[in-house]
Amino acid sequence: MKDFKLSIAYFKHYLKPYWKGLIFVVGLTIISTWAQIKAPVYLGKAMTSLSKYLVAYMNPATHQSASLANFHNALWMILGFYLLSVFTMLISSLLISRINALSTNKMQRGLFGKLQKMTISYFDRHQDGKILSLFTSDLDNIFNAMNQAIFELISQVVLYIGVIWMMFSLNVKLALATVASTPFVILIAFFIIRKARYYIDNQQDEISKLNGYVNEQINGEKIIITNGLQKKSVENFKVLNERVRKSTFKGQLYSGMLFPLMQGLSLLNLAIVIAYGSWMVINGDVGKAVGLGLVVTFVQYSQQYFQPITQITSMYSMLQLALTGAKRLSTVLKQPEEQVNKDGRKLLEVNEGVELKNVHFGYNSEKEILHGIDISVKKGKMIALVGPTGSGKTTVMNLLNRFYDVTNGEVLFDGTDVRDFELHSLRKNVGIVLQDSVLFSGTIADNIKFGLPEATEAQMIAAAKQAHIHDYIESLPDKYETKVDDENSILSVGQKQLLSIARTLLTDPSFLILDEATSNVDMVTEEKIKKAMDNVIAGRTSFVIAHRLKTIVEADEIIVLKDGVVIERGNHQKLLKDKGFYYNLYVNQMVFE
Amino acid sequence: MGILKPYLKNNYLSIIGAVISVIVLAGSTLWQPKLLQTIMKAIIANNRTEVYDYGVQLIVLALIGIVAGITSTFFSAKVAQAVTTDLRAELYDKIQEFSFGNIEKFSTGSLVVRLINDMNQILNLVMTMLTQILRIPLLFVGAFVLGIITVPRLWWIEILMIGLILLLTGAVFSHMGNLFAKFQKWLDKMNTVAKESMQGIRVVKSFNQEENEAKKFATTAGELKNLNLTIGYLFSLLIPAFMLISNLMILLAVYLIGAKITSHPNDLAAIASFISYLMQLMFAIIIGAMTMTMASRGMISMNRVKEVLETKPDIEFSDSSVEDTLASNIEFENVSFAYPNASEDSLKNISFEIEAGNFVGIVGSTGSGKTTLAQLIARLYDPTKGDIKIGGKKLQTIAASTLRKTVSFVLQKAILFSGTIEDNLKQGKSDATNEEMEWALDVAQAKEFVDKYDDGVKHRVEERSANFSGGQKQRLSIARGIIGKPKILILDDSTSALDAKSEKLVQQALESEMKTTTVFMIAEKISSVIKADTILVLDDGELVGMGTHKELLENSPIYREIYAAQLSRIGGQA
Repeated sequence: MKDFKLSIAYFKHYLKPYWKGLIFVVGLTIISTWAQIKAPVYLGKAMTSLSKYLVAYMNPATHQSASLANFHNALWMILGFYLLSVFTMLISSLLISRINALSTNKMQRGLFGKLQKMTISYFDRHQDGKILSLFTSDLDNIFNAMNQAIFELISQVVLYIGVIWMMFSLNVKLALATVASTPFVILIAFFIIRKARYYIDNQQDEISKLNGYVNEQINGEKIIITNGLQKKSVENFKVLNERVRKSTFKGQLYSGMLFPLMQGLSLLNLAIVIAYGSWMVINGDVGKAVGLGLVVTFVQYSQQYFQPITQITSMYSMLQLALTGAKRLSTVLKQPEEQVNKDGRKLLEVNEGVELKNVHFGYNSEKEILHGIDISVKKGKMIALVGPTGSGKTTVMNLLNRFYDVTNGEVLFDGTDVRDFELHSLRKNVGIVLQDSVLFSGTIADNIKFGLPEATEAQMIAAAKQAHIHDYIESLPDKYETKVDDENSILSVGQKQLLSIARTLLTDPSFLILDEATSNVDMVTEEKIKKAMDNVIAGRTSFVIAHRLKTIVEADEIIVLKDGVVIERGNHQKLLKDKGFYYNLYVNQMVFE
Repeated sequence: MGILKPYLKNNYLSIIGAVISVIVLAGSTLWQPKLLQTIMKAIIANNRTEVYDYGVQLIVLALIGIVAGITSTFFSAKVAQAVTTDLRAELYDKIQEFSFGNIEKFSTGSLVVRLINDMNQILNLVMTMLTQILRIPLLFVGAFVLGIITVPRLWWIEILMIGLILLLTGAVFSHMGNLFAKFQKWLDKMNTVAKESMQGIRVVKSFNQEENEAKKFATTAGELKNLNLTIGYLFSLLIPAFMLISNLMILLAVYLIGAKITSHPNDLAAIASFISYLMQLMFAIIIGAMTMTMASRGMISMNRVKEVLETKPDIEFSDSSVEDTLASNIEFENVSFAYPNASEDSLKNISFEIEAGNFVGIVGSTGSGKTTLAQLIARLYDPTKGDIKIGGKKLQTIAASTLRKTVSFVLQKAILFSGTIEDNLKQGKSDATNEEMEWALDVAQAKEFVDKYDDGVKHRVEERSANFSGGQKQRLSIARGIIGKPKILILDDSTSALDAKSEKLVQQALESEMKTTTVFMIAEKISSVIKADTILVLDDGELVGMGTHKELLENSPIYREIYAAQLSRIGGQA
């Protein structure tokens, strides 16, 4: 129930701005439905008057006075109702389309905007795939339901009530005959839906197993080829494929059965209504002319009566998905946002230095990662962080530009706690170059200017030159306008790194965090990266997570981290003399004889 | 359509079942208004027994309809499943025959999409074909003919209505396809923006680009919204327009019947059934149009699957020669190689001979052809010119199983499959004993961490081997490569994620444990191959040097250059 409330709250939030339009839509739907169910009554009346006319016409006594006036009047009425119903329906579907498009657009933007404001911690705790599925699956499900189900649901409910009301006001007995089978039909429908859902879940399970297998095998196809494992791979595939066949058959059978079954039941019901109606006429319960009209009217009603039942049952799963989606999105929108500290001090430049004072930190309260770290760097100096995987190097980096906040201790810029600065001014001064370079779809120029979109072309080229990537870019046919994206790119790993260095250089930060890449690149690129790094470090206060000895040797101070504590510090010469952890690390790297 | 033929044939009984039930279903739908008419007539004639008879007939007909509907679904689902399962198996079989070249041509991602998404589309296509392709024309023709029989003089109303509806559907659906394609494109774009922003969230935040990202997103979302509006408006017009057409036709029919009722008194009973036929006619056209749009998507998928099925594997092995043991010396004779569609040769006229049991290093800058050369040894590609011989035999004459047993290739990218460590090791040798596994893990320096698991080699490998570090993956992948004690072992930069110490240990173990194996080691760092018996130096596809470290330092300028650059990388401290 709480979940349901969350889902409803979500829809309420995004549909509220359109409440006037929505009320109008409901009004129009009622009018349109009313006209729709009124028309068959007059069709029946037309039949009655036509049959009366015929009888009168055939009778020589009344032959002269027989008139089609009533018949024509009824037709005029039908025309009126038809037009009214079509016109109101048109207006309301146009309105619905508009509300749908606008509100889903707001949902999309709302979600994206919210995600941009959320803490890094949220992204670290959730897989990208899961977050992305908020867009690709949850929003999509809501969108589908809005387009195909939610408003349809309103009009179907109105239609259902309207038809029942009309039938009972016309003829109670026939009305009863029409609705008599309803409980039975709904029971069958729900039985089948439940079966279908069970088998479809089953089917999805099997399919996702097959998908997982196929994905893994094909992605590892080169291993399969080099090890000659093709036969085995096909054998396993066949087992899974066969299971998919069985489960999908049942899933398709039950879900596919619903529609023909409901249609068949509606025909059966129609047959019952016709048979019963005719029997009433023959028995003399109603007059022949009136009876004929009634039968025609009820033939239409029993079709209209069944329509909502069929529709609503087929919309059931779609609605279910949309509600689940809305619940998830509602939960996301409630997540805490980053503390921007709007009224905080503006950091204009790092003038003295940066200091970590007795810093304790853990990603969760149970496990502390950093146990009281003290590091300080004076303006223009460079610190190299060294240590084995899991020692806490990356964590230190996360604290410096407030991706996370310390649990204890302080991170100080020019003696002021980072939490006292306005967040954007802090980050403007802190540049980072990540180990894995991230590129965004767009042109190379877009990517270099990412941090400073208003940069001039000259500035951009200057940054690219400093990052030693300008010549390569110029060698491409489209130069700076070359399209790139993160996955399929003409850029090698090394070149991506150069590009991300250029991106940072362009924003000219006064403090720099640099995570050296470990990946192997060829010599030429390696050389370029080194030069680019020298350029980006020069004159800036910097923290480098260092993997290259050259960088480490040049550092003003080397901090050796292990298990969240600083175990050694000093310059290269001093640490070598100490013959401690650093010394061993150094010797292991030195594999040249 | 052709690719489905053999599978459709296998299921002809079910297909006949599906066809019969569809015909019965359509028949019962069509007959129902006719019965309604006769029953009305009986009412007018006050014929009690006839009313009773027809009433029962009406109910029986409806029941037949239900049964036919269910059997039609049953048979269609059965056929659709059987056909797609078999087709998917054939497709998978085919892919397993592929060589590296074939796979790279399609890309693994696209092959996965074809196996999954495209096959789903085909499943839907077969299902709709079986349930609709007969039903729609039957209903259309049936309703048309029966309508005319019911009230012959109003035949032209049917024609008029068909014309109007065809005009409308034609106009709308021709736009729809285009709009939907555009919609999908922008939806993908929007999702890409979202994905990239999530993946690069650290970059976005550290450059203070949250607002700009939101703007970028809003732009794509805006395009999507506009398309949404257009599609929505079109649909909003469509349904009322259909209703208007059918309503006006009904009204016109009733009016005309009324006008001439005195000369055709029997038409009174026919009004209701004529209306029914008009409605059936309309639905047949609408559903037909929708089925056609769906079918066109299915046909696209069908062609994509067909493309794979019709691809010939680049490399075919001789199956004539029986499995035998080869010596491990290798010979390249004037070998050149170009990747398909590449304008330049990746390897140019390369010749060398390697003695059995040698340790061979291959060095050179990125793009110099190191991996290509190694892949030719394992016959992952065939050379465009020249010959490669293992143990004096041309590669083309060696059976696949012999070659795979003789040559083991450890790829640069260490990929493990989900399952257990044991499962992965056994991919290298299906009947490996515990001792052999232990040995392989030991040589690959993986024993130290595998032994730490309580369940040892039974330890689970998660999907994407997420529970192992890069270095661990490489060690396991090396263990898999050596477990079969291959005559020839190729390590394609397979120790890149190992620290220098472990790398050295692996090399030492290989040396002492696999003395008779010829090892090719592709290395980025010269330090990795400094001890090799022979080092091959590649530059831009050419073999520019060959010899020991010492010899090359003396006589290969390119080798000297690379070595000097690497020395400076570590700070000139060597």
